[in-house]
Amino acid sequence: MYSTMNPWAQQPPPPGTQGQYGYQQREHKAPPAYHSVQVRQSFNAPPLHYVPVVQQPFPPPPPPTMAPVQAAPPRKKIDWPQPVRNYVSRSFEPKALLDDVSRPDMEAKLKQTITDATDNNTLDTLDWDNLPLPQQMIRQERAQTWQQESVDLRMGGLGLINSKKRKSQELGDEDSNATPPWRTNNRIEDRITYDPSQCAFQDDSHKNTSKFQKNLEKRQKRFDTGYKSYKKSPSPEPTAGPVVGTYEVLEKKYFRLTSAPIPSQVRPEHVLRKTLELLKKKWRSENNYSYICDQFKSMRQDLTVQRIRNEFTVTVYEIHARIALEKADLGEYNQCQTQLRALYAQNLGGNPVEFKAYRILYFIHTSNRTALNDVLADLTTAEKEEKAIKHALGVRSALALGNYHRFFRLYLETPNMGAYLMDMFVVRERLAALANICRSYKPDVSIRFIAEELGFESDHQAGQFIVDYNGQDLLEEKGTELRFLAGKGFALFEAARNNAFRKVDIKGQI
Amino acid sequence: MDVVFQDFRQAYEEGNGYDLSMSLSPIAPDSQPDRLVNFYRSTNFAHVQRDFKYRILHDATSPFKLPADEGNGWVEVYHTYWKAVGEIVNAEAADGNASYVKVYEAWKEMTNVLIRGYTNCNFEAWTVPCLYVAGKYLRVFAIKADEGASSANGASSAKNFQDDDFNPEAEKNEKLEDAARVLNKVFQTCLSDRAPLEESRKWGIYNIINLLFKTYFRLNSISLSKNILNAIQAYRGDMPSLDAFPKAHRVTFKYYVGVIKFLEESYEEAEKHLTEAWLLCHKDSIKNKELILTYLIPCHLLTTHTLPSLALLKPYPRLQKLFLPLSRCIKKGDLSGFDAALVAGEDEFTNRRIYLTLERGRDIALRNLLRKVFIAGGFEEAKDANTALVRRTRIPISEFAAAISLGSHEVMDTDEVECLIANMIYKNLMKGYIARERAIIVLSKGGAFPGTGV
Repeated sequence: MYSTMNPWAQQPPPPGTQGQYGYQQREHKAPPAYHSVQVRQSFNAPPLHYVPVVQQPFPPPPPPTMAPVQAAPPRKKIDWPQPVRNYVSRSFEPKALLDDVSRPDMEAKLKQTITDATDNNTLDTLDWDNLPLPQQMIRQERAQTWQQESVDLRMGGLGLINSKKRKSQELGDEDSNATPPWRTNNRIEDRITYDPSQCAFQDDSHKNTSKFQKNLEKRQKRFDTGYKSYKKSPSPEPTAGPVVGTYEVLEKKYFRLTSAPIPSQVRPEHVLRKTLELLKKKWRSENNYSYICDQFKSMRQDLTVQRIRNEFTVTVYEIHARIALEKADLGEYNQCQTQLRALYAQNLGGNPVEFKAYRILYFIHTSNRTALNDVLADLTTAEKEEKAIKHALGVRSALALGNYHRFFRLYLETPNMGAYLMDMFVVRERLAALANICRSYKPDVSIRFIAEELGFESDHQAGQFIVDYNGQDLLEEKGTELRFLAGKGFALFEAARNNAFRKVDIKGQI
Repeated sequence: MDVVFQDFRQAYEEGNGYDLSMSLSPIAPDSQPDRLVNFYRSTNFAHVQRDFKYRILHDATSPFKLPADEGNGWVEVYHTYWKAVGEIVNAEAADGNASYVKVYEAWKEMTNVLIRGYTNCNFEAWTVPCLYVAGKYLRVFAIKADEGASSANGASSAKNFQDDDFNPEAEKNEKLEDAARVLNKVFQTCLSDRAPLEESRKWGIYNIINLLFKTYFRLNSISLSKNILNAIQAYRGDMPSLDAFPKAHRVTFKYYVGVIKFLEESYEEAEKHLTEAWLLCHKDSIKNKELILTYLIPCHLLTTHTLPSLALLKPYPRLQKLFLPLSRCIKKGDLSGFDAALVAGEDEFTNRRIYLTLERGRDIALRNLLRKVFIAGGFEEAKDANTALVRRTRIPISEFAAAISLGSHEVMDTDEVECLIANMIYKNLMKGYIARERAIIVLSKGGAFPGTGV
């Protein structure tokens, strides 16, 4: 495998690092009398600032990166000290091997570490016993660079069409002066191997095409790449199967993934369980919603990437949903609710009745009739008899029929946390009811009646509500009683009603 | 394979798109039950490309000559078709528990190659029926593939690492969602054709739209249909008018647009589109007419307060079962009967997404009941014999309350009765006002119940 001419052959390779690398064969010339320069692999791949990670299949890790290092002038013969030998053998211990670091990667890193030490004459001074193993170094490096890397990957992967940043780097390349930018830019073409038969198919003559359009298409086609091109997805193909996390710290800030998850940054289920307990405690003591929400999001992410779907998952989503409800964060609530619906469908426990009832109320609030229809279609007869669901359905039908009398009775006896949801639309329903009353009652009604019908806690509150909508002129003292001049209020409250019923816009709405 | 290419050549010489598309059918015609099997066995992986190339481009026995780019495009199409047929033959041989995932993937490849034929190889517009066939079965195979895959789910969903939450719906309908994307590509291929109208792929657009609608409805992502409608709207200046398209495409399109509007609760627009579909529909397409009526009848109930006649429903026993009990109660003003009928039909109604619409029919039932009370109230005592009789327009609330609790035998409290009447007045189903202090309803002397003759 090693040519005798190989400079490496003149010294014993570091023990255990002899890999079966084909690239070694490239170095079969006599020791060069020059400093070799790293071979460019493509037109515009900028030198990577980090160790290429093999887990990402793209861009392909340039195998010859090691070659130039090895092509350095011959070294003196070395007798490897014992600590180094120990270090190497520790690196290869089966229990030290990491799933996410491939062996060639690890070996390359090991080789590099030792070579560096040799070059810097630190072979004897380095604390080999406490030096992180090469696989751990790789992990660390990944952790530092994965963010940067994902950005680079994106830019590289999307064909660099509109990335100004990238362009400016390329302009610095010597060869880009000679070739027009669209040539150097067109990286996708470089990557594609042409099937000869398809080439022929492509370049066949286009006689018999008089039409403008055909010519146009032909022109467009010049930049097209044949049948296979659409299959080459520029995004990295993620590894199959769920991640198994190894991160042990309870708290973790939420960060939206832009590349495949890294096990060392994902908490396994037993850690997440402790996290949940911690968060519950913190929520009670600190009541800091932005912190809690962030933490729950990262928990949900960890659950998802590890594809943990069990009663614990349900609990996490339920608690997050309840907290979001309490804080009227409907966007987050809706995400949880959507998940919960799916989780309940798998019979993983939890409180399906409670949350199905919320779901109905939620869709009433967002006036999403299509979704409401779907919910109704999904309910079983038994579920319709459950107290919370029955209540929610009652609310729905009362509103559908304009029965505000019944609606406000139901409002006052909402089970669980449904009142948080109902509070969100009770104002607009009050306006609707007032518009209704103004249209149909003459000449006036007592404020007591309004307070009773519209579920206010007191006459004063009812009066305040009317005043809030500029209805102060419609209130009139008659004897000891305050009366509402319904007959004159229609225009005012009809306008307020229409205003309130404008579309509800919530982020995360499906 | 000769049969297939004979058909191909003949259709090509005649310029008959539908015949051409039949040569790409994944289902053997009754007259040639072994057509697919024979076609698949007539060549093999090593020779298929050469064989097809010879038959399409270089067959010396035929005077028929295709331009090279077009011919090569068809060679690719039939090549992928041959592979798909291979998968179909395998799947059918494994009857029952065969997985259609491979069939779907192969068929998808063919569809993509076909699309490229239009964008890259100058396939002519008259051949668009091939896209119909490809699209139609793409959807069918996707559904079959998803049905098979629902039990065993693999690593496929792992690629959605960008979602913080997993999406089980996406897993359930993975292939169908994929198919929707491919169909959208077909749609774009037709829509973006800039050739003059006579030779434009735009003529295929409504067929493809209908396929897309069908897919979106099944995926329960009806909102996506609106994107299609917007795209059509944006291109309307460059499109032939809808009337110029084949009737079959128009009926289906109108039906779907009607249902979309129906679900958005734009009942008047829904009624317009559904009525057009109803009028265009072939008189013998009972099933399609039934579908149209399923939505048109509730529309009518809300917009015009009219109920379907027995004669209309006669040919459709299912619709009779669906609508007759409710209509009877509405007509009679039987509130509790209406409620019972609504509960009885609830599953069926919600499945068809007409429950919420029909529920509103209760207003009409209530109106009819209150109107009866009004009529039963008789006339004011005539002051002298010459003046015309005037109906009694001041009616105690208790009379209405009694009528409302007649069917259910439950006494409703007066406030709720007032609330119901207030709604009637608000919705202009009844004219008058409530005088709460005196506990009476004062109804209009001229037309207390608009549109009902009293």
